Amino acid sequence: MGLGLLASKAIRPTTRLINFQNPNNLFLRTIVSKPELRNPEPAAAQPEQPLVDLSPRTPVGGARVHFPNPDDAIEVFVDGFPVKIPKGFSVLQACEVAGVDIPRFCYHSRLSIAGNCRMCLVEVEKSPKPVASCAMPALPGMKIKTDTPVAKKAREGVMEFLLMNHPLDCPICDQGGECDLQDQSMAFGSDRGRFTEMKRSVVDKNLGPLVKTVMTRCIQCTRCVRFASEVAGVQDLGMLGRGSGEEIGTYVEKLMTSELSGNVIDICPVGALTSKPFAFKARNWELKNTETIDVTDAVGSNIRIDSRGPEVMRIVPRLNEDINEEWISDKTRFCYDGLKRQRLNDPMIRGPDGRFKPVNWREALSVVAEVAHQVKPEEIVGISGKLSDAESMIVLKDFLNRLGSNNVWGEGIGVNTNADLRSGYIMNTSIAGLEKADAFLLVGTQPRVEAAMVNARIRKTVTVNQAKVGYIGPATDFNYDNQHLGTGPQTLIDIAEGRHPFSKIISNAKHPVIIVGGGIFERKDQDAIFAAVETIAKQGNVVRSDWNGLNVLLLHAAQAAALDLGLVPQSENSLESAKFVYLMGADDTNLDKIPKDAFVVYQGHHGDKSVYRANVILPAAAFSEKEGIYENTEGCTQQTWPAVPTVGDSRDDWKIIRALSEVAEVRLPYDTIGGVRARLRTVAPNLVQIDEREPAALPSSLRPTFTQKMDPTPFGVAVENFYMTDAITRASKIMAQCSAMLLKK
Amino acid sequence: MAQAIRNAKVPPNSVNLEEARQRVFGFFRIACRSLPTVMEVYNLYDVATISQLRSTIASEIRRNDHITNPKVIDMLLFKGLEELKNVVNHSKQRHHIVGQYVIGRRGLEQQELASKEQGISNFLKDFYNSNYS
Repeated sequence: MGLGLLASKAIRPTTRLINFQNPNNLFLRTIVSKPELRNPEPAAAQPEQPLVDLSPRTPVGGARVHFPNPDDAIEVFVDGFPVKIPKGFSVLQACEVAGVDIPRFCYHSRLSIAGNCRMCLVEVEKSPKPVASCAMPALPGMKIKTDTPVAKKAREGVMEFLLMNHPLDCPICDQGGECDLQDQSMAFGSDRGRFTEMKRSVVDKNLGPLVKTVMTRCIQCTRCVRFASEVAGVQDLGMLGRGSGEEIGTYVEKLMTSELSGNVIDICPVGALTSKPFAFKARNWELKNTETIDVTDAVGSNIRIDSRGPEVMRIVPRLNEDINEEWISDKTRFCYDGLKRQRLNDPMIRGPDGRFKPVNWREALSVVAEVAHQVKPEEIVGISGKLSDAESMIVLKDFLNRLGSNNVWGEGIGVNTNADLRSGYIMNTSIAGLEKADAFLLVGTQPRVEAAMVNARIRKTVTVNQAKVGYIGPATDFNYDNQHLGTGPQTLIDIAEGRHPFSKIISNAKHPVIIVGGGIFERKDQDAIFAAVETIAKQGNVVRSDWNGLNVLLLHAAQAAALDLGLVPQSENSLESAKFVYLMGADDTNLDKIPKDAFVVYQGHHGDKSVYRANVILPAAAFSEKEGIYENTEGCTQQTWPAVPTVGDSRDDWKIIRALSEVAEVRLPYDTIGGVRARLRTVAPNLVQIDEREPAALPSSLRPTFTQKMDPTPFGVAVENFYMTDAITRASKIMAQCSAMLLKK
Repeated sequence: MAQAIRNAKVPPNSVNLEEARQRVFGFFRIACRSLPTVMEVYNLYDVATISQLRSTIASEIRRNDHITNPKVIDMLLFKGLEELKNVVNHSKQRHHIVGQYVIGRRGLEQQELASKEQGISNFLKDFYNSNYS
């Protein structure tokens, strides 16, 4: 028994006595904040009609209501205001349509309904008790009251219970300022509590290098548990114990090994789960928010970069129903510390002693321009990297073309990759469209590591539609039911020729989807593989006028735009015979292929692999520092916005090449980013339609069929380490910790 | 105080260009003679030599060699003397001297470079300058 309890026991009789003696003295120990809440009466069944504003209201968050079947619309009254909602909506959703925001902790629109926080209590006419609006289906003619004394008192009571065991550590809590509990206790809570005992405390759990836990702050909303099992598809988190001993945990001493684990930070309404790398770094009100997009994979997740001064403090997701819903992968969220490490900040030239010497731009550009003129045009090669934006790629291509060379390609694009038919390299179904599918065939792709957000969609489809998934490729981890059909192209041929049982599943499916991995582009027999895939598509009726289920899942942010711009290598060994190699952020090119006597220029933002081979370094801006157009794997064009200034003496990518072209006396005709985009428009008009998805015009079946022999070697793994795929993530300390601790060995 | 101000007299203007010229030489000599003190006071040994500073003074003077009006020359001399007095009296700090007279020469070099940049476009000029223009 705590001291507090003893004290309260000692005081209580006196208090009663005083109250008894002075029944009129309301202010001695009132619990509710307003006198009228002391004995609230349920609203009368037929109240005298109050003045209700019947003008149309805007739903919460500008939400639109979709009626699957117009006959199923029902009408309910929220605070006297009639709204039409489809059948099956909950009371809480009805209130949102009516523009009334109901406080909630456990309810989350993308997770299943738990109904355990009781914060969303509202009064419903003729119901004896207040009802939990998130779990109560709306019935026709229901009269919902959200602003009555009963509802207010119910909320106040719930707040008091929640705050009973919630520590008063807001000043040292990272959620402070963006905490649901803080906000709602200000809006709906009482100004005092009756609890005088000791608060309970809960042991913190170790969830790995990304999520920090302070479990005493937990209010048991179970959002994280539901997220882990429903969206992330890992059964790592659970609820242990009952009553006041209830706590969230991992059952056994175990880390949370999901590629989406960072999202529990966002859905946690209190500060129980916060970001470990962001802990005690900044307060949310001192951060500048920049809405931009992510470039660590080909999905192009919508993100918000929160920065303070010149430093990126954190990355959080932004809602985009078509691409990432409201989740992002851990790589996207925590790669940002890579933006502060290993950065190149000065132009540098490698001296005869093999050491880099910082020089100014004037010197660096004149050296590069001089060398570029000394070699034959066909010995010039340009390679754009995984993170390049469309502007810099077109400028690089134009520059090399002016020098007389056409050896310019993007990383991860093999010789003679089809770049003519757009449907042959984008995700034709669109990411959101995957939700309709009822059968998946994954060919040489591991979506969980290649594109975590696409994998989350597939998982959603598998759990909702019971879609079948067949996978061809090396053994890998899935977080949904799947059939491992085989490891190599032989299985593909079996399916194409109808010998495999899975070809039945595809042809029986209403909306079959085939996803081919971007790793196939690097295979020599890619044409034969695509021909086999197209045969499967033809037999399974995958490409129809109303449904195009033949998809390619690309690997990097730059790939779709590079293919749109035709950055495809023309011949096998142009790199082996090169004398002048221009690497624009290309760090995953095989450097051994570059001849010893070649002059290598590396333009990029990180001192990564290619820097060791470079003769000249030209520092460029990272995605968080520049305006750049990226096209994601489904063909949606999006743009990054500069959140922080560039580092040191670095410049935007396209500006470097434009300046170099002038020094090399092949001046390119644009001076502004608008000029570059006008040039982009002439090459690939879809790349300047920002935030729009341009579907492919022609189906890929127009391609000539190839009879080339297929190589029987099994499909490889495109992404070895999910956490480290490009220059930024390889420089990141957090990503290194993750790959050391979370990757299954 | 008022007495002192009344007695203080600005030396009369140079009568002709020749006299102004002689005064400039005189000023240069005074400046050169004070340079050892300046080196000592501001501890400039590791960033400059006396001869470098001397040539900086000379080039500052030569910057105005196109001026022929004795009145203007007198005015510039007055300002130069004032500056010299400030320097010698330690009214400045070391970074002032380094910035104006040691690095300042490099600034002059950059001016020469600017004349080299006649042929290049505005884009390239901005590019060399900074990423943001």
